[in-house]
Amino acid sequence: MKYLLFLVLFSSFLYSSDSKYEMGKKIYVQTCLFCHGVNGKADTDMKFIVKPRDLSKTILNEEQSYQVIKHGAHYWGASADIMPSFKSVYNEKELASVSYYVSKTFNPDVEKKIQKLYAQSDDIPNDKISKMLKRGKKIYKRNCSWCHGLDAKGDGEATRNPEMSIFPYDLSKTLLSDKQMFLYIRDGGKAWGTDKTDMPGWSRKYDDFTIKSVVKYIRKNFRKKDDIK
Amino acid sequence: MKNILLALLVTTGLFAANHVVDQKGKTFIPHAISVAVGDTITFKNSDPFAHNAYTDDEANEFDIGMQSPKIDVKVTVKAAGTFNVECAIHPNMLLEVTAK
Repeated sequence: MKYLLFLVLFSSFLYSSDSKYEMGKKIYVQTCLFCHGVNGKADTDMKFIVKPRDLSKTILNEEQSYQVIKHGAHYWGASADIMPSFKSVYNEKELASVSYYVSKTFNPDVEKKIQKLYAQSDDIPNDKISKMLKRGKKIYKRNCSWCHGLDAKGDGEATRNPEMSIFPYDLSKTLLSDKQMFLYIRDGGKAWGTDKTDMPGWSRKYDDFTIKSVVKYIRKNFRKKDDIK
Repeated sequence: MKNILLALLVTTGLFAANHVVDQKGKTFIPHAISVAVGDTITFKNSDPFAHNAYTDDEANEFDIGMQSPKIDVKVTVKAAGTFNVECAIHPNMLLEVTAK
């Protein structure tokens, strides 16, 4: 009897995962494929000012992908409105199925990758926080504020140039975790699926302590964890 | 005496050279220069986006701020020594200046 119950539950789980995947795949092919391509690498012939994210390299996990698909990238701080909101197009179940399909198909190990890379970085003791905030403030003002602005709204001085084609994120809206933010700053946007090199990797210039200090400064001043809803 | 001093100052000014460093493809071109104290360095920006140039070298400290495309900014080398100039926006840009 126990085995029978187990078999029924297991089969229904398999069926539900499978149908969720198929639903997501169907919507992806109908809607997302034109920009992100068959393989998620955004290698289509479409011309964009900002090329869509290479989903095989995205730093976002399934839940975060769901949030971006639902609300659009602008809601989470992107200054270019390329990735629209689909909440008026698909229902919750359908939206969840797309993020499920995208995560499982194109970048299934992203969470493991983030954990592994972060674990390899220097561990900073908690008693260094005040030193980190001071260092983070100095580096943010010196380097990050040119593009992201002093208030992190993505409207730094460098964006006011008429010839500019940069689209810095409004960091007060980011949905990235501390670990993701650290890796994104360290490696740059290109390593995590953007086409452009506007957001450079800073590891050549700064050590892990400094980059983690910048993350602390951003988190404390512009984007508290509680703000992410 | 005044005339000699004036002539000396003018002559010194005449001998000060100007070194042009372009910023193109997110690179300083050339990426290393030798200058004399009193020489000037003109930073050009041939990229279609903003740059910056600064050094933390105590004797030669400068920061030109945001430099829009096609704008030239000139700085004067104040002291001897070797120092690095970087762009605050693009971390891979590095210029080595040797001043004698």
